[in-house]
Amino acid sequence: MTTGPDRQSFLGDRPVPYCKGCGHGLVARRLGEALVRLGLDASQIVLTSDIGCVGLVDPLFPTLHTVHTIHGRSTAVAAGAVLADTVLGEGRMKNIVMIGDGGATIGLLHLTQAALMNVDLTVLLHNNMLYGMTGGQHSALTPEGFATSTTPQGNWVPALDMEQLLRGCQAGFFARQLATDAELADVIASAIAFPGFALVEILELCTGFGVPLNHMDGKALRALAEADGRQLGTRIHRNDRRPYHEVYRERFPAPSGRPEATRGDGSPARVFAHRLQRPATVVVAGSAGERVQTAAAILCQAAILSRLHCVQKNDYPVTVGSGFSLSEVKLAPEPILYTGADAPDAVLITSADGLREVRGRGDLNRLGPGGVVIADESLASELSGDGVLTLPLRRALSPDTAALGAVAILNQRNGMLEREALLAAIGVLAGDGRAALERAVETAVSLAGQAAADPAEEGGR
Amino acid sequence: MATDIRAESAPSSLTLRSGNQMVAEGALRAGCRFFSGYPITPASEIYREMTVRLQARGDVALGAPDEISALCYCIGASQRGAKAMTATSGPGWALMIEAFQYALMTETPVVVVLVQRLGPSTGGATQGAQGDVLLAEFATSGGYTVPVFAPSTPVECFTLTMEAFSWSEALRTPVVVLSDKEVAMTYEAVDLARLPEVPVHARPMASAEGYRPVRFGALDEVPPFAPLAGSLKVTLTGSAHNKDGWLRKNDAETLDVLRHLEAKVDARARDMAMVTRDLQEDADALVVSYGITSRAAREAVRLGRAAGRRLSFLGLLTLFPIPVEAIREAARTVRRVVVAEENLSGLYRKVLGGALPDLEWHGVNTLGRMIRPAEILEAL
Ligand SMILES: Cc1ncc(C[n+]2csc(CCOP(=O)(O)OP(=O)(O)O)c2C)c(N)n1
Ligand SMILES: [Mg+2]
Repeated sequence: MTTGPDRQSFLGDRPVPYCKGCGHGLVARRLGEALVRLGLDASQIVLTSDIGCVGLVDPLFPTLHTVHTIHGRSTAVAAGAVLADTVLGEGRMKNIVMIGDGGATIGLLHLTQAALMNVDLTVLLHNNMLYGMTGGQHSALTPEGFATSTTPQGNWVPALDMEQLLRGCQAGFFARQLATDAELADVIASAIAFPGFALVEILELCTGFGVPLNHMDGKALRALAEADGRQLGTRIHRNDRRPYHEVYRERFPAPSGRPEATRGDGSPARVFAHRLQRPATVVVAGSAGERVQTAAAILCQAAILSRLHCVQKNDYPVTVGSGFSLSEVKLAPEPILYTGADAPDAVLITSADGLREVRGRGDLNRLGPGGVVIADESLASELSGDGVLTLPLRRALSPDTAALGAVAILNQRNGMLEREALLAAIGVLAGDGRAALERAVETAVSLAGQAAADPAEEGGR
Repeated sequence: MATDIRAESAPSSLTLRSGNQMVAEGALRAGCRFFSGYPITPASEIYREMTVRLQARGDVALGAPDEISALCYCIGASQRGAKAMTATSGPGWALMIEAFQYALMTETPVVVVLVQRLGPSTGGATQGAQGDVLLAEFATSGGYTVPVFAPSTPVECFTLTMEAFSWSEALRTPVVVLSDKEVAMTYEAVDLARLPEVPVHARPMASAEGYRPVRFGALDEVPPFAPLAGSLKVTLTGSAHNKDGWLRKNDAETLDVLRHLEAKVDARARDMAMVTRDLQEDADALVVSYGITSRAAREAVRLGRAAGRRLSFLGLLTLFPIPVEAIREAARTVRRVVVAEENLSGLYRKVLGGALPDLEWHGVNTLGRMIRPAEILEAL
């Protein structure tokens, strides 16, 4: 790639599209000078421009990569490109965001996020204190008292102070300059050379709207800034933060050809027998944090080991640590098409939270023919009818293993799976808690045995 | 559809996997190296899974401060040459639409996984729905065709995410994987050791010879891609532009670029058509469905046939471009075509009615819950 006809500035020979006296053209010229001063190659420079008059800049730099984006989003598009380049690529890119005060207003979050992360890019914020291209309306950076087409008597809301905002983001580099400042090219060069997020706010007076509406010329700009409490010059320059990609690379180094561990290697495992003739649907309900979903997952895994098909759905309130926890499990000898649990064959309930949820869903009214309910003894007074079995699940086992116990009891009663399949499933899924879960299955099976010997418990009260 | 796991699989390689997890699996297999996300049920699991797995590879996973940022990060990364993906649900998709159009206009490949939940507005975070099908497709001003693929099982989540990457890259256009809560958050047995082979395509790359930023001869050609910070000058804009990438008003070349954006997708509509067929000779009714509901529809057909009915099933994996030929072929002998989908007014049926006006269309629709096989059978 050649660096263009005018190696002095990267600027081509196109006429500048801006109004006479507009600062945008000056900034472009200073940027060109800064790039030359830095000795950068055109191919490594990306100009990411925002919407507005500021976004007319692209064709002025015929040899640079130019990305004209959408209103306010330039910083985010640039950040994505920089992170891909620095983490996944060679890291040669210098990305310069050309944005207006309007773009900074609508896209403020992208600026603060890039500053917080310290993404290695440079933002040139062309602050002409209004939306130039759309007719001179006020923005969040319009100073108090400044007249715009939508605040003709003067703005009555204070302007956002980018310096304070960026201090709050721990930004490493911030400068505020007038477009006419002699040192602007140097400041821009420092910003581009800065390893991390750097923003230069350039104050301008829009000749189309700012000048006539406020009866002032460019000379008044410095006084206006000072009256508004804005200090000029390089206001923040700190080197105590590393750019985001360096931190990221250190935390997440690319592995050296190590293959990712995948679960399931396709090797044969013991297959268990099952006695399921038709699909079975089981609803397990209890309280959050009491391993209801683990119990359901063990049932599914046991079904898999028995070469059954299965689906599992979990439900819980938005507050994951309180209220109910519920799983639906469907097992079938054939592939499962419809995954709904419209007529459960068994409803297992280990706590009042679970019962409330099951009632709300109407599971008990929709029990399939021959359906069973296995519930903790504490719910006995609320449950009655054929097929209801209440047992001391929480007392004899523990709140944490009551759900798995209920699964084991159900299985013991209907014999759909081998008990060893449940134990093997625990082996597949459980880590440290394995022994406790295995014990729970054994205890539950003996509870089931006692219940069968003492039919009085059946049918509730 | 659900594969018969007993036929070929050893139980040790069968693992419970959700649709969301298998989207992530497909993305990684397709070569995705950049993900950015923002939390939202029922898509959050993709965000988490991609984060953990990409970081383990030293690739980029990025939490965004909003969905607009998430998609813009992906677009920037893709313009640099990385395969990129984000995932969201209806409320986040609403925020992404402007950036999505920008991706389309700049011919930037990117995959957006849209996991539907009940709307409008915040709707129901954990309630299923198929209400975003037209919001996904008609998100662009001018109605440019957005490829939309709709999985109904975890394995289809895997294959269709891979297809989405391949088409997005090959056509240089954004693609939507339209999942739904019931597909995304339901766990089923998946054989991770024997996932289907899906060919992986990369975007065509530009060379210096005859390079232009938007180079095509015939309108349906895909312009070769040049990455940012490479040796070929990139010129991108969301404004209407000529083949040099420069903003122009309605000159002939600029309008050709717009026509080209549609032509390159339209020309490959037939190759993109993916369906699941279970057709019966001399069927008198056909059910067409997609996503989670297609499974109930297939069950309905199974039940109906067992009761002596002659019924056909067509599950659509490609929703857009509309697989018109596959539908016409499946409907050849039937009197009625029933479209089952989980939204109030039969959104997709409305576009089918427009695309194939000579067929007799009926709808089965529910709001806030899955459609049952019996309800579909009744309508057939
Ligand atoms: C989402 C969106 N909203 C509104 C617009 C209309 N618009 C075009 S230019 C512009 C103003 C840009 O102002 P600023 O960023 O200050 O740039 P300036 O024109 O002053 O250089 C606006 C609001 C748009 N293009 N996109
Ligand atoms: Mg402005």
